[in-house]
Amino acid sequence: MAHLCLFSLLVLSLVIKTQTLTPSHHLTTSDVARLQAVLSQPLTDLKSAYYSVVGLSKLGIFVADADETCRFIKSNLDPSSVESLFYAAEASQALSGCEISVSNDTRDLLLATVSEDSTASQIHQSVSALSSLGLPLASQEVVSALKARISKEDNVLAIVLALQTASRLSQQAELGDILEEIEDLAARLDDLGGLYLQFEEGLEATALFVSAAYALSDHVDMEPPLKEDQVIQLVNSIFSKKSWDSLSEAFSVASAAAALSNNRFHVPVIVSAQGPAAVSHSHPFLQLQVTDVLCQPLTSATVLVESASAVTSKSAILSQAPFTLRDGVFELNFMDNQPASGYYQFSVVIAGDSRFVANHVELKVKVSTRVAINNMDLSVVDKDQSIGPKTTRVEYPTKAKASFMADSHQNFAMTFQLVDETTGVELTPHQTFVRLHNQKTGQEVVFVAEPDSKNLYKFELDTAERKTEFDSISGTYALYLMVGDATLENPILWNVADVVLKFLDEEAPSTIQAKTLYTPKPEIQHLFREPEKKPPTVVSNTFTALVLSPFLLLLILWFKLGANISNFTLSPSTILFHIGHAAMLGLMYVYWTHLNMFQTLKYLAIIGSLTFLAGNRMLAQKAVKRIAAEQSSRLAKYRSLR
Amino acid sequence: MSNSVISVISRFLEEYASSTPNKLKVVDAYLLYIMMTGALQFLYCLLVGTFPFNSFLSGFISCVGSFILAVCLRIQINPQNKGEFLSISPERAFADFLFAHTVLHLVVINFIG
Repeated sequence: MAHLCLFSLLVLSLVIKTQTLTPSHHLTTSDVARLQAVLSQPLTDLKSAYYSVVGLSKLGIFVADADETCRFIKSNLDPSSVESLFYAAEASQALSGCEISVSNDTRDLLLATVSEDSTASQIHQSVSALSSLGLPLASQEVVSALKARISKEDNVLAIVLALQTASRLSQQAELGDILEEIEDLAARLDDLGGLYLQFEEGLEATALFVSAAYALSDHVDMEPPLKEDQVIQLVNSIFSKKSWDSLSEAFSVASAAAALSNNRFHVPVIVSAQGPAAVSHSHPFLQLQVTDVLCQPLTSATVLVESASAVTSKSAILSQAPFTLRDGVFELNFMDNQPASGYYQFSVVIAGDSRFVANHVELKVKVSTRVAINNMDLSVVDKDQSIGPKTTRVEYPTKAKASFMADSHQNFAMTFQLVDETTGVELTPHQTFVRLHNQKTGQEVVFVAEPDSKNLYKFELDTAERKTEFDSISGTYALYLMVGDATLENPILWNVADVVLKFLDEEAPSTIQAKTLYTPKPEIQHLFREPEKKPPTVVSNTFTALVLSPFLLLLILWFKLGANISNFTLSPSTILFHIGHAAMLGLMYVYWTHLNMFQTLKYLAIIGSLTFLAGNRMLAQKAVKRIAAEQSSRLAKYRSLR
Repeated sequence: MSNSVISVISRFLEEYASSTPNKLKVVDAYLLYIMMTGALQFLYCLLVGTFPFNSFLSGFISCVGSFILAVCLRIQINPQNKGEFLSISPERAFADFLFAHTVLHLVVINFIG
């Protein structure tokens, strides 16, 4: 039964965290077909024959030319290799009517491999071969050999092979210790984001673990210690990869899928909506596909809506309503309950088998409807209410015959109602726009029409107030009403009427230029700071001379006063002082032209200290002379008085 | 009234010419020179504008500073003030005058730009 199993991730990914997990990845029909194709590749050697034949048998498909394959197996069989015997035995068992003859030596070889010295893989191969070939084996020996190998090897793959081997042994054997390994291995799984569980060894190890665990659990009839969430996480990990690198990987996925769809304890359920989860009057049925991991429909299940409530108002619409099975698809006529348009949250339960895992699913269903416009009234109202409004009714989808004139003294008004076509209930869609389009200039202005408390939509255009939006361009504007919403099946674009608008202080209608946002802007010339205006050189030169002139005056005055340097003694200190002083003044000039403060201070310190010392000497000598002169003059005065 | 002003001024000038020692007159001449230089700089600034404002300031401050230091020197070497400056001989006053001028000129040259 090949049904279109449409992949609806949206539905399944809407998982509310408070509920248990639902699978986010599963095999669709196309994936299963791809898996088959990979496993059906032409046979190259015995190993590939084993993978192909046994893998396909797990998917429930039988090889087309069984005889050809059987001959191929027999011809490639190497009776001295345990591995070769294993592949051949397993493959031949999957094919009907293919018997491999076994000699005593072969049997002895296989029995001898069952010991502590062989690897777990060798033990697995020999036990499987013995069991497939129908040869007797000692289960207890196998168990002790396996236990020894597990403690020695202790890697995931070895333990998985041990589990697989144990599932081929007799039920009377002591398989309890090996059964406990399932739990230990499950603890080794890595949890990725709460969504995936897999071994770090990879997908193949995880898939083989799943098939081995369920094989052993079914064999001993004990539920595997895996919780529901863990099972779903394993499903996500194993079936998230849709193209497989190698034949062995494809084989492992096929065996895991077979184990999960047909074991005695856990059967994960995959629920997906057929098409978008939306209903309307034209499509009143909500259709769900309920399958197992191999995309096979679970026809024995009963699907029930536990509760359905509107997302916005949270009022319950449905409770405990069953789905009916029709052509392998479960459907429910939701429109029978007359739901208002909008979104509904469905809680669906799949019952009928205690093995079902992840059988509570949350769905978001959209109910669409068609909208109708009632009572579209257009009117031109005078602002001072002196003249009564003239109302024109327009029916959808016709256009008003006369155009409406509105200038600055008048308002243009529009009222209408939006109702559901079938039920007549008033609707408030998300988008109700009024668009005015000037045919000549191509300019368009969009306004929003708002509903009042009674859900009556009103739109008023005040020409004086809104003239900036129109750029004060008068002319004929075509008026469109645009109605849209996610739940409307028929969005509306309706040219209701033509409106002639007249604005005050109208400019000559110019063609609207496309907004020059992205064209290059005019270049900015950087203006450097202009230097301040300097006075003409003549003026500054004049004033320089003027400022220096008092010096001449000073010299003249000093000359007149009789200032002289007659007392100039030529002692070394005097000369040194004057030279030092002159040097300091020279340093000032050099500082102005070349040096900075630090260099100047350095030189000043040197010259200054020299000058100071010399000057000190000189002034001291002068002081001595002065005091001597004063004393002698006093003495002379005293003497003359006597 | 102008008569009295003129008579006061002429009297003052007479007294000044007769009773001021020569040394002080030399310093007074120097003071006059400094004042005129400062005044002319200020006049330039008023007339033409403060274009290199830092230069104007440094020049003007130089004149003002020199004037003040010269006034201090004049006070200190005036024999009539000897009582107030017992520890400061005229030579010492002159040395102070030179040192202060060095500092003033350092600052002025730094600022003149």
